[in-house]
Amino acid sequence: MDANTVLLCVVVASALAFDFTNGFHDTANAMATSIATGALRPRIAVALSAVLNFLGAFLSLKVAATIATGIVDSGAITLTVVFAGLLGGLAWNLLTWYFGIPSSSSHALIGGVVGATLIAAGSSAVKGQAIVAKVLVPAVLAPVFAIVVATVGTYLVYRITANVPDRVRGRGFRLGQIGSASLVSLAHGTNDAQKTMGVITLALVANHTINKDAGTPLWVIVACALTIAAGTYIGGWRVIRTLGKGLTEIETPQGFAAEGSSAAVIFAASHFGLPLSTTHVCSGSIMGAGIGRRLAEVRWGLAGRMVLAWLFTLPAAALTGAVVWKGADAIGGAGGVAVVFALAAVLAGALFLAARREPVTHANVNAEWSGRLVPSVPVKEPVA
Amino acid sequence: MSQYIDVDALWKVLVAGLVAGAGLVALYALGLVGLAAARTQDGTAARPAGVVVAAVCFALVLAGALLGLYVMLAK
Repeated sequence: MDANTVLLCVVVASALAFDFTNGFHDTANAMATSIATGALRPRIAVALSAVLNFLGAFLSLKVAATIATGIVDSGAITLTVVFAGLLGGLAWNLLTWYFGIPSSSSHALIGGVVGATLIAAGSSAVKGQAIVAKVLVPAVLAPVFAIVVATVGTYLVYRITANVPDRVRGRGFRLGQIGSASLVSLAHGTNDAQKTMGVITLALVANHTINKDAGTPLWVIVACALTIAAGTYIGGWRVIRTLGKGLTEIETPQGFAAEGSSAAVIFAASHFGLPLSTTHVCSGSIMGAGIGRRLAEVRWGLAGRMVLAWLFTLPAAALTGAVVWKGADAIGGAGGVAVVFALAAVLAGALFLAARREPVTHANVNAEWSGRLVPSVPVKEPVA
Repeated sequence: MSQYIDVDALWKVLVAGLVAGAGLVALYALGLVGLAAARTQDGTAARPAGVVVAAVCFALVLAGALLGLYVMLAK
């Protein structure tokens, strides 16, 4: 195995690792509300979402989108830059997951690639205007759009069904919620698995393993679909808890209106070519669902912290991407990339261990929100 | 300004989002109203027209969802 093959293998492994975090980080987008309202039992919900993500990955008819197209100069993208970008995205995904904050995986990946390109090829290789138009402006608009749509939807739903007996209402909205959440899952698989397919295809082309004009190889599609589904099934319970319980208390009609709004905005954005982040849309929808129901409380402090994290996504991932590139470059060659990869794996492992000390799982994900991500165990907690 | 913001896509997404997101959700709620009217709690005074309303509403919602899926995939 020569150095190039080692490099390629590490890049593919990083891409799949990113895909995996993409899956479990975003389970919440589709399923947090269904889990919170009890429309689906937690493990059923993540299983359903996993299957739909898997199917969604096969659905799209277009060629896998290339990473950060138009944002960085494609000539500046080397395997090492892709690797550094992936690690930047991975690091941010894992960190935000640990703190239970929903944040955009696409932004993290773009940030990582931008940071790595900046340090590898200089600022001329990064198109600032494209970053504003394709990343920053949509990031502001996505939650605003979703809030508007979900607020109107929630208001209408409560208004229309005010006199409908609870029996019909509860059952009807539970079913509707499952349906709309399924649409969001499917859309997620279609849009997000493609990002990783694009990255791996790009790496294969850069390494001359496949022809430039060749489509995405089947094994890449299958691997990405399986990985994102596995990640979804593991379930990012920490993020699910924040979105389902933390942001606002959700009733079934609200959950239905929120998922309906998310699905509609994601589909529309995808069709009209506005690059909105699934995470931003879904978080906005849940806030809107909180606003639309009278007397429902939205915990704006938590919402503010989320938005703060969104602002930091790009620069933080960019910084990590730049550091990773510099580190790999300093050690040099495929060996440098391998060393950095091993180091990153150790850090990720440490984070997983830290998370296991205060776990959020399917069992306690729906515990009463008391201002903390990890539910306190009542018996052991001293009275303050 | 327009080089930073794709105004055209923007308002399309907002309108489509409102029509599909809030509209279909409201239509589904209307279907539930129909169902409830058709089956009153004590079993009396049921209005069979409610079933028709419900069926039409649910069919429209389903069609809307499928159209959305198709539109997204066929971009």
